[in-house]
Amino acid sequence: MHRDNQRTRGVIDVLWILVITIVVGTGLIIACGANPAEAYALFFRGIFGTPAGFAEIFVKACPLVLTGLGCAVAYRTGFFNIGAEGQFYVGAMVSTLVALHCTAVPGAARIILALAAGFLAGGLWALIAAIFKAKFNISEIIVTIMLNYIAINFLGYAVRSFLMDPEGNVPQSAKIDKAVQLGNLIPATRFHAGILIAVVCVFVVWLFLEKTTMGYELKAVGLNKRGSACNGISVMKNIVLSAFLSGGLSAVAGGIEVLAIQKKLLEGISSNCGYTAVLIALVAFNNPIGVLFAAILYAAMQVGASSMQRQLGVPSAIVNILIGVVVILVLSRQLFHFRKDNKKKQSSVKKGGNA
Amino acid sequence: MLEQILNLGFLTAFLAAAVRLAVPLMYGGIGETIAEKSGILNIGLEGVMLSGAFFSFAGAWYSGNLLVGLLCGMLGGLVVSLLHGFLSITLVQNQSVSGLAINMLMLGVTSFLFKLMSNGQGYQQIETFESIAIPGLSAMPLIGEAFFNCDILTYVLYVIIILTWLFYKKTNLGLSFQAVGEHPQAAESAGIQVKKYRWIAMAWNGILGGIGGAYLVLVQLGVFTENMISGRGYIALATVILGRYTPFGMFGAALLFGAANALQIRLQTIGVSISPFLLAILPYALTLIAMLGSIGKNSEPEALSKPYVKGSR
Repeated sequence: MHRDNQRTRGVIDVLWILVITIVVGTGLIIACGANPAEAYALFFRGIFGTPAGFAEIFVKACPLVLTGLGCAVAYRTGFFNIGAEGQFYVGAMVSTLVALHCTAVPGAARIILALAAGFLAGGLWALIAAIFKAKFNISEIIVTIMLNYIAINFLGYAVRSFLMDPEGNVPQSAKIDKAVQLGNLIPATRFHAGILIAVVCVFVVWLFLEKTTMGYELKAVGLNKRGSACNGISVMKNIVLSAFLSGGLSAVAGGIEVLAIQKKLLEGISSNCGYTAVLIALVAFNNPIGVLFAAILYAAMQVGASSMQRQLGVPSAIVNILIGVVVILVLSRQLFHFRKDNKKKQSSVKKGGNA
Repeated sequence: MLEQILNLGFLTAFLAAAVRLAVPLMYGGIGETIAEKSGILNIGLEGVMLSGAFFSFAGAWYSGNLLVGLLCGMLGGLVVSLLHGFLSITLVQNQSVSGLAINMLMLGVTSFLFKLMSNGQGYQQIETFESIAIPGLSAMPLIGEAFFNCDILTYVLYVIIILTWLFYKKTNLGLSFQAVGEHPQAAESAGIQVKKYRWIAMAWNGILGGIGGAYLVLVQLGVFTENMISGRGYIALATVILGRYTPFGMFGAALLFGAANALQIRLQTIGVSISPFLLAILPYALTLIAMLGSIGKNSEPEALSKPYVKGSR
């Protein structure tokens, strides 16, 4: 009975959020002096109009799915990783390094090696913050932000020195061999094999969290540190493990972006997806399947909005506004519950906490 | 090469550049220090500063008056911080999520409004605040140019930093503002209204962060560009930690970040080839080391970023 109540409440929340978001979006379109009906038509034509446009949703969603997944895994353990951005770049750098230099390994095997090396490096990068937290009890929030800037600046150094294309003088790496690129699966679109990797990751992480003992322990630590410790679950081990997984997943996003889309290493290729990922994980309530859908939805909004921008001059910054509004509405959803009851209030307080 | 660096002209110019680059960080940092001392972590500082930058530009552009611009910038920052306050104090939500959402929201809002305002055309520069040399002091070798030949906002900043220090060190009220960040339950039972104090702290956070953003427009650049804060808000967060949550510590830390930044520019102009990107890593790495160094003698407010519900234990 109680559970049913919660479910209806959840549905009502979603409806409220949807309605308010659409109203805000429409208001913004009108503020630009555009006709909302025309704008929405263009929005949906951008998404469903052409196969290339439709495929673009998944291209844009791919890095978000992986980084969002990384964040979700970490948050389940109470490790507030804001470092997806930095881990993305560490992964991108290491994958590029392997793809360019391990020429002894043939094509497909080198792709796997490059992504695996990226995973490992990103995981280790996140471990720095995990060790700071588990050993010294230093807040991971600031540490991961610092690590982001270190990684981003190091990338700037790398593409101007040891990773720079020897034949050019622009800050970017040499082009990656055709054999090591993640190829397009559908002709005339940018739908690439990396997207399948991302989807597989979603299901693997879901299985891991929901169906294995290790996954259960991770979640237990996130729900109650003291209780877990008293039951013989090592808090430190689980924080380290989830940080490693989290960093690794974000790093794979970086590797895929290099091998499938850019085909070389450049600055700024994450387009801030590491920060967006935090919000995606939140909107999906840290559920892997939810992350998949939230990322696709966000990417669809981006694709639709850029079609509006091209045709009507409605700034695509609208997407940033709307995602910000959605997250703020999710945070303040208790305002939609007009009848006050204390039980609910207390449980929402617990959720708000981060260690 | 060393002679080129170690002459007075170079050092004077270098120090002046360091201070100029540090002032926006200091405004953001002092606002964040006040917020964090009261127990609220505002990762949305980037958004606060961006809002300050945009609204100061809009205000100065439409009114033609720099002071009106400054006021608009302060208000712009204030509103954003109060939104963070609403989510984290009233609704007791996760402060990091709220902060990041605010950053994304303000990036969108400022870019959107700026596009509407400029209608695709470029803007001319607005006038900026002029430097005022303090007679006598500004003639001092080395530091005179850097610290005493500045604009009015920099001098105001000196006063704010000293006052903040005095406030926390010497007044009872300052102690109360610290208590709500250290142990809100104890503060509450001592009759301090935790939420009210935190709201006041957030208001200062917004006003000062807003000036930090406005400084970039009204003093340094005279224009607004999309995402012009580009990470300065996050750096300001680092200066607070590196400065161990004290106003003067934050001042020194911001100066360090400014110096690292100025050094890359200066070294490039005299043709020294050390990667500016490696130099840029330095202050961040130092912040991490400082965090390690502060183990045991923890200076972080005990209740920082922990949601507080009145009456809870």
